[in-house]
Amino acid sequence: MHADRTNRAMLILFALLLIAVGLIGALTSFGAFGVPVEHAHLFANPVGVYVGHHGVWLWPVIAAAGLVVALLALRWLAGLLFSTDRAGDIRLPGDRSAGRTTLLPAALTDAITEEIRSYPGVQSATARLIGDATSPDLVIETALEESADLSALRHRIETNAVTHARQALDNPHLPVILNLTVSDRHTRTLT
Amino acid sequence: MRLINRPLAALLSLAVITVGVLIIIEVAADRIVNHPALIHWHRVYDWAQRTSWTQGSVRVGSILIVILGVVLLLAELRRGKPQRLPVDSEVTDAAYTRRGVAATIRGAVNDVDGINHSTVTVKRRKITVSATTAGRQPYTAQSLREPATEAARHRLDTLALTPAPTLSVRVTTRSR
Repeated sequence: MHADRTNRAMLILFALLLIAVGLIGALTSFGAFGVPVEHAHLFANPVGVYVGHHGVWLWPVIAAAGLVVALLALRWLAGLLFSTDRAGDIRLPGDRSAGRTTLLPAALTDAITEEIRSYPGVQSATARLIGDATSPDLVIETALEESADLSALRHRIETNAVTHARQALDNPHLPVILNLTVSDRHTRTLT
Repeated sequence: MRLINRPLAALLSLAVITVGVLIIIEVAADRIVNHPALIHWHRVYDWAQRTSWTQGSVRVGSILIVILGVVLLLAELRRGKPQRLPVDSEVTDAAYTRRGVAATIRGAVNDVDGINHSTVTVKRRKITVSATTAGRQPYTAQSLREPATEAARHRLDTLALTPAPTLSVRVTTRSR
């Protein structure tokens, strides 16, 4: 999922925030900032005093910041739950005087997977176009039979199916992510 | 890790939204009706006014927060097992899945006469094969180590992984 990097970055940020808050609390309570601070009450510090003195305008500002942060978090959550990294319909380049040609991603991916599945030694194949429709990436996932010539099969996928996909999109530099897996066999037991 | 991150991220975003909305509601309520709306924050305020940093609950809470943060940070920064191992290809961004590499090497080793069972562990830079023999003559662990290594090596070479992981093969005789 394309939100994975955001998730990781936000969780790292949250972890750093926890460490910072916890460390400040622990260091203060164990006297790292001096005995008077150690024995002071939790709000009896410069930040607490400042908030107490400027609460009239500071709290509305904090509320506004809370609104911004909540909206950003809402966008993050929506991206997490509802968005997709699939590419939309692709407009093919070329002469548009007689109209324009649009390619449905499923038309291409169905053709690609059909072709790859027809190769001997291929157990299954799926494909999808991801990213922006103007510069998509093609992702192919294919499971190969363990007994197949894996190197030759990969070469065939790259030189035939991938080439056909690039021709269909009229994009010889179409980025292609090819994920190959090998079907598992049960371990052999000698009798 | 990605599968754990998704629910964690959803929980964190929900928590942030909740806190943000609560702050807005409480600030608005305080300004309009001069009274807490949902959270009785005056109690929290009073507790903080009479609690010193030396209180045990503050110390324990601070340490727990640090531990939680460190655990989360280490979990996020830790490089897990690779999901895909890149292949030397100029045409595509090709890679074998970790399970796929393990399956094909396991298959190659299991095809060696005398090998009864094998397990393959694939890490980013090292592949470890642990094979067991049937435990009967003439298939001794020592005599099968070379053919098992050769089979695994040959299969690994055909995958053309880049960088090529190192291979370690261990053959043991099955205990009766």
